[in-house]
Parts: sequence; structure tokens; C-alpha cells
Amino acid sequence: MAVADFVKSARESFRVGWKIESNWTDPVLFATYQVIRPLASLLIVAFIVIIGASVGASANSAFYTGYLAWLIVGNAFYAFVLQIMLGMAILVHVDRTRYEVLKNIYISPGTLHPYVIGRGLVSVVNGAVSVILTLLFSVAIFNGLLHMNIPLNLLNVNLLMLIPAVILGIIGLLAIGYMLCAVNIVSNRMEFILGDSVSGTFFLLGGVIFPITSLPSQIKLISNVLPITFFLNAIRESFGITSMVTGDYMSNLAFLALTTLVALALGIGVFRLAEHRAKKLGLFDRKSEY
Amino acid sequence: MLPKATPREELLINLRAAYARMWVRLRGSNREVTGLVAEIGLPILTIGAYVILYRAIMLPPTAGAAVIIGGAMIAFWTNVLWNMSSQWFWERESGNLEMYLVAPVSRMSVLLGMAMGGSVNTSIRALGIVLLGIFVFQVPFQLADPLSVGLVFVLTLVALYTMGMLFASIFMLYGREAWNTANLLQEPVYFLSGAYFPRIYAPVVPFALQAAGSLIPMTIGLDAIRRLAINGESIATVWPHILALIACTLILFPLARRALNYMESLGKKEGRLTLRWQ
Repeated sequence: MAVADFVKSARESFRVGWKIESNWTDPVLFATYQVIRPLASLLIVAFIVIIGASVGASANSAFYTGYLAWLIVGNAFYAFVLQIMLGMAILVHVDRTRYEVLKNIYISPGTLHPYVIGRGLVSVVNGAVSVILTLLFSVAIFNGLLHMNIPLNLLNVNLLMLIPAVILGIIGLLAIGYMLCAVNIVSNRMEFILGDSVSGTFFLLGGVIFPITSLPSQIKLISNVLPITFFLNAIRESFGITSMVTGDYMSNLAFLALTTLVALALGIGVFRLAEHRAKKLGLFDRKSEY
Repeated sequence: MLPKATPREELLINLRAAYARMWVRLRGSNREVTGLVAEIGLPILTIGAYVILYRAIMLPPTAGAAVIIGGAMIAFWTNVLWNMSSQWFWERESGNLEMYLVAPVSRMSVLLGMAMGGSVNTSIRALGIVLLGIFVFQVPFQLADPLSVGLVFVLTLVALYTMGMLFASIFMLYGREAWNTANLLQEPVYFLSGAYFPRIYAPVVPFALQAAGSLIPMTIGLDAIRRLAINGESIATVWPHILALIACTLILFPLARRALNYMESLGKKEGRLTLRWQ
């Protein structure tokens, strides 16, 4: 398939996906919806730290404000994980069972690949909106409203460090999302479990709300092969947050690139296998709601 | 014309409808072992992250116990959102809603059956979450008065599922909004209810936040259960919670009934009760 055709199909898929995700309400309500969930997640962990500081836990206030900065950035960028994993995990189920269009997409001149990529990119845009709004609201709430002097200056972000990390991270997450789509093509019981399982595992092991050094050493080994761990490390360093971040920026970026590459190879491989099996067993038009 | 049923016959047929709906829910949710395992195992991932966060910021181990109870209660909230509030939406999508509407029973009995089945199912999962959480994270509990905990727990569930009945009525005509609204009511409620905090009614938590959280029965019940099960307090310290939970039920139930009648009549007028794929 020519690159131009691939891009065209992905663009159309993005357009359809965006309409499905956003036109159920007006744009203001949609934007509110996009920010409320990640902001509430952030407020949960922020209040845990604030309550921790208030009950006289043994560290000093600089530790807590530093921890909050670390946590705000990690939690904000975790929105990409949530959006991509949950969006892509449910995609096949919705198109196959609810709208009953997966078979039509499959027999169209394009392939499923640009379709899945296009729909995944909708999740990326949703995630980006959540990240930006969450960061802005966090600074407004904690530094503007609560005067907590959290060492987080959004104007000092090093874009040359941030952009490559974000691009690599998103590719890695899309590749994992690809695998979730593949699993859902060949199964009809996992659609509500997969996204939550993977995003929950990343939340626990990826260093989102606590440094991975707090994990038991055997479990830390798993953290060290997840792209999310290096993604968040590199992102935090681009925000000038270096405490509680393991490794330097370049090594984190290199590991992120490596793990992304592995995820990509696995994603494409697993998807092709699933596609082949689904074709053989006639699974593209299987109904699972009754 | 069919003869009019006596009040006793009417009550019996509605109870049978509630039982039937409960049976379907119990059977449907427990026949798939993968689902049961996931519903117990998945919350442990999030609970584990918060327990480790508490350790990272050097809070006492009782905070971890509070998170485990909070995580178990969240299972009920999730059930209320996805299996009560959005249920009419699912039923409409799968073509069952019209069958409920032409059945000679009150819609409230169907909701009651859903609530009973959902609360039993989720209690099994919540118990699993608590036991697994205690086993994995080794957090301390001080359960001095199990009967009081049981009483508060039941009152919390009754109030919470009555709220679910109200939401089910409001969500009745939703299309994709049902899915999105249920999604929207997850994290904000986890935050407002203090499910992952050691306690919501603490001086450091702004009063406005405590007041907003208190509109959700889970917040009140969760605080009472934590006081009884973690702090070892007696029932005398949680009587305001008990009264508040009873008040919630008494207010929400008639509201749910009125909302259901209104939405059903609106749906009939606008022809939206059988509309799919909105």
C-alpha cells in the first residue's frame, strides 16, 4: 500500500474517530470532560501528599513540594497512557459488535492498519488536550490558589528534550495499543479488562506516582523494561525535575527508543497473527452482545 | 380487558420480577471466571500504587488500610455507574428495553433486582479485594465491633444503590452520553469521596470539598467504616453517619421513582425509547 494511501486512510479514520468521540456534546462540555478526569486523578494524589505533609510525616516541606512537582508531571503525562490504552482496547469491540462495521472496514480497499492508527491518533489528541490542561490547572491551583511554591515552571520546559520523548513515548504506547486491538480481534471477552489491566500495570510499575526505587527489587526488573518508565523519566528531566529520576536524559531516551522499537515489532507481529487467525476463523463479524 | 390485580398480587408479581432480574445479574456476572478474577485483581493494581505512595511519603501503615477499604468501596461505585446507571442504555442498545417497558411490572422492581444482584456480586468482589489487599500489603486493622461495621456497610449499600436507581432513571434516554457520563463520574467521585485518602473529614481538606463529597453516600459510609474497622472506634462515634445514610435513602428513593416516570414518559413522547446507536 502506497504511503499516500496509508496516510489518506489514517486521516479519514482519524476524522471518523474524532466525530465519534466528540460530537455527542458541545465543544465546551467536551473540553470540560477531557480535563475533569485527569485533574481529579491529579488532585487525589496531590491531596494524599498534602495530607501526608499535614499529619507530620517525617520529611521537610521542600521534600513535599519537590515530590508534588514530580508527581504533577508524571500524572499529567499518564493521560496519554490512559487515553491510548482505554481507547484502543475498546475499539474493536465497539466497531465489531456495537456499530457492526469492522467487517466493512476490513473488506474495503485499505487495510485495518491505517484505520487503527487513525483511531489511535484520536486518543493521542485527547491525551494531549488532557496533559496541557492538567498542567495549566495544576500550576494555577497549587501555586496560584494555594500558594504552595511548587518548583514547576511551565515556561522553563526544554522543548528540545520534551518533543523527542513525547514522540517516542506515543509511538510506544500506540504499538502497545495495537497489541490490545489484536487481542480483541481474536477474543470477545477481554475488551473491558485489557485497557484497565495494562494502564493499571503501568500506573503501578511505571513510576507515575512514586519512584520505582520504592518497589521490591524483583518487581523493579519489570519496571525497567516498560517504555512508560523511561518515557516519564525523560519527560520529567525536560521539565528540569531531576530528583527521584533514575538515569540521565540521554540514557532514558535511548532506553525509551529501544523499548519502543521492541513494542513496535511485537505490536505489528501480534496484529498480523491475529488478523490471520480472525480471517481463518471468521471472527471479523462475530457478534458478542445478545 | 384483564381483571385488575389486588395489591397483594401486584406486590408478589413485582417481587418476582425483582428476583428474576437479580437472578439474571448474579448468573450473568459469575459465569465468566476471567471477569471475576479481573474485577478482584485489577483494583489491587491501583490500590497497590497508593499504598506504596503512602510508604514513599512516610505515612503510617493505617493509611494503607484506609486505601484498601476505599478501593473495595470503589468497586461498588463502579458497579453503580456501569451496571445500574447505564443499564437502561445497554438494554436499549441490545433491544431489551422495550420488553421491560411492556412487562406488567413496575420499572422500580426491575431496578431493585439489578441493585440486589449488583450489591451481592460486588460484595463478593469487594471481600476479595480486601482479603487480597491485606495479604499482599500486610496492613493493620482494628475490628472491635464487626456487627456495627456490617450495619454501616448495609446502610451504605442501600443508599448507594438507591442513588444508582436515580441515575438509571436520569440516564434512561442517554445515547453516547451514558458512556461518557459514567466515565466522567469515576475519578471525580474517587476524589470527592476520599476513597484513596486516609480520611476525608480532616482539617487539611477544604470544607467545600468535604461538603461536596458528603452528597455521595459512599463518602459518609466509607468514613464510618474506616473509623470502626481501622481506628477501632465504637458505633457511638458514627451515629451521625448512620442518620445521614438513612436520610440519603429516604430522599433518593422517591426522587428515583419520580425521575423514572418522568424520563419514561418523555421517552415515549419523543420516541427515543427504542432509538439505538445515538
